[in-house]
Amino acid sequence: MFDRFDIFFVQQLINGFSVGLVYALVAIGFTLIFGVLNVVNFAHGEIYMIGAYAGLLAIIFLAPPWVALLLLVLAAGIAAGIALERAAFKPFRRFRDEASLKSKAMRESTLLSSLAISIVVRETVEKIFGADMQAIPRAYADAMQEPISLGELAIASGQIAILAAAVVMFASLQWILKRTDIGLCIRAVAANPLGAQYVGVHVDRTVIATFAIGSGMGAVAGLLIGLYQGTIFPAMGFAPGVKAFVAMVMGGLNSIPGAVICAIVLGLAEAVATEFFGQGWADLVAYVFLVLTLVFFPTGLFGAGRERV
Amino acid sequence: MRGALAPLAVAAVLFAILPMGLSMAGSGYLFRLADVTLIFCILSLSMQLITGVAGLLTLGHAAFYGIGAYTAAILSTRVGLDAGLTIPVAGLVSALFGVLIALPTMRLVSIYFAVATLGLGEMIYVTLLNWVSFTRGPLGIGDIPPLRPFGFDLSSPLGTYFLIAALAVLSLLIVHRIAHSYYGNALRALREDDQCADAMGLPVVRLKIEVFAIATFLAGIAGALWAHTTGYVNPADFRFAESILILAMVVVGGLGSIPGAIVGAALLILLPEALRAIGEVRILAVGLIMFLCILFLPKGLFGEVAALDLVRRQFGAAWRGGSAARPLGWR
Repeated sequence: MFDRFDIFFVQQLINGFSVGLVYALVAIGFTLIFGVLNVVNFAHGEIYMIGAYAGLLAIIFLAPPWVALLLLVLAAGIAAGIALERAAFKPFRRFRDEASLKSKAMRESTLLSSLAISIVVRETVEKIFGADMQAIPRAYADAMQEPISLGELAIASGQIAILAAAVVMFASLQWILKRTDIGLCIRAVAANPLGAQYVGVHVDRTVIATFAIGSGMGAVAGLLIGLYQGTIFPAMGFAPGVKAFVAMVMGGLNSIPGAVICAIVLGLAEAVATEFFGQGWADLVAYVFLVLTLVFFPTGLFGAGRERV
Repeated sequence: MRGALAPLAVAAVLFAILPMGLSMAGSGYLFRLADVTLIFCILSLSMQLITGVAGLLTLGHAAFYGIGAYTAAILSTRVGLDAGLTIPVAGLVSALFGVLIALPTMRLVSIYFAVATLGLGEMIYVTLLNWVSFTRGPLGIGDIPPLRPFGFDLSSPLGTYFLIAALAVLSLLIVHRIAHSYYGNALRALREDDQCADAMGLPVVRLKIEVFAIATFLAGIAGALWAHTTGYVNPADFRFAESILILAMVVVGGLGSIPGAIVGAALLILLPEALRAIGEVRILAVGLIMFLCILFLPKGLFGEVAALDLVRRQFGAAWRGGSAARPLGWR
């Protein structure tokens, strides 16, 4: 087995690390929304897909420079996030008291409504663009595939871009949460929605801001991955969405750093599993991790864990 | 006397009027549609038992349906087992997996349980897809013999229809008797507050595992019927989207309501077929109907309270029995 620890294996680990960063990018937005509303946003994977398609449309029709492309996709993600909140989550926050804000019925109806919205969005995109893979124009996709060699190892420039994006997003999210007024509101609502309302926090606006931030990040993640992989398709959001969810559960639900670490661990584990068992079985890793975590560490590996799971 | 009327009406429609109409139309497509609707009725009834009555939101129900279908397919093509045996065996294998999966996950509640079932369902799908030597992977298993249980040739459209209708009615009876009994009330107690039910002395985990086993048994039967009537199974038929379709049937029909499960299954199978002229919009229609239902009809088309009223009026001996009724108790 040790003869497998050759340069090829290290290369696989590096690829796994960048896959893990992709999951982390998705998981950051996911965890942020869960932390504030205590509900699972099943449509987060579709936001990621919308980001990729918005990027594709922008590239085809406008061919903007990189910064403008990023800003356009960010705007599309924010718009999609706000629309999603309006359609799938707002109607279920009719009741203001804490019991119903955290009740089982509320959680499950928003779970189902976001699931329904995600189906509708995915199918609509499929009707418009077709279910097949769509290639990103070469001029943009190639920029993500330039090899950078480090000794014997080869790293694609896209992997560096993903790493940079993950670091920037994580840092900016921490900055928003800890250093700005809106971040203070978000943390207040996450801690206690009713209490936040009593001291004058506008809960609805805060929730919308949370969705805007989380979805903007999800959309940018979708764009980067679409560019890096060179092809996008309507169902692309499902797998990263589920894996980001697994990372969130493993990380303890409310902990963004925990989710990021677990996402990277998941990516590495998948790379190792691919190496030893093949691509098809590697998909099992995430689900096995999920079930093992839920059964043995129901509060997650990094969670404070007061809540009953 | 009145109590016999509604069941007789259901039986008359299912076993006389519908097959007569279908035979007169003489169209294989309509027979197939009726078969699929009835198979999905079994599936939505079984999910109703888990999600509606016992309150466990499961997102992996299609996996058990898939296990049933694959069991029937493999047993009848490789072992050459009779369809009269593959169908119950498929149910049992599926229930076995149900119990195995329920044992570790039943301690979880609400979202966590939902996600654990999602994960386990996808695990089963990935296994069906990748265990090529056993399931033939993405190629699927073809040439599954049609329904000829114990020498009776039911492979004609009418015979197949009657067998499926009989099994659907049987599962309707089972689910109905479970849901509208003291046992069913115990399950409803779990749904409302399982900690409270625990404090009242109900064996919470055991009840959950039992109901999961019963429901997965029915799902396995539905899978076997699907395998035998289609003649071909493929992992893609048992994915997450299929679980969502079944869940949508239950949600649209009304959580906890048995007529609701049937209405939901019929609506979500027949409506997209009726819309076929517009284009392949099945899943889009499912998503839209589900969303609109959650938004505007949170209780579903046929809510639980209305359904309980109906049951009490038309079927319920337990509520009418007076002092001579069976002794009170949760079983």
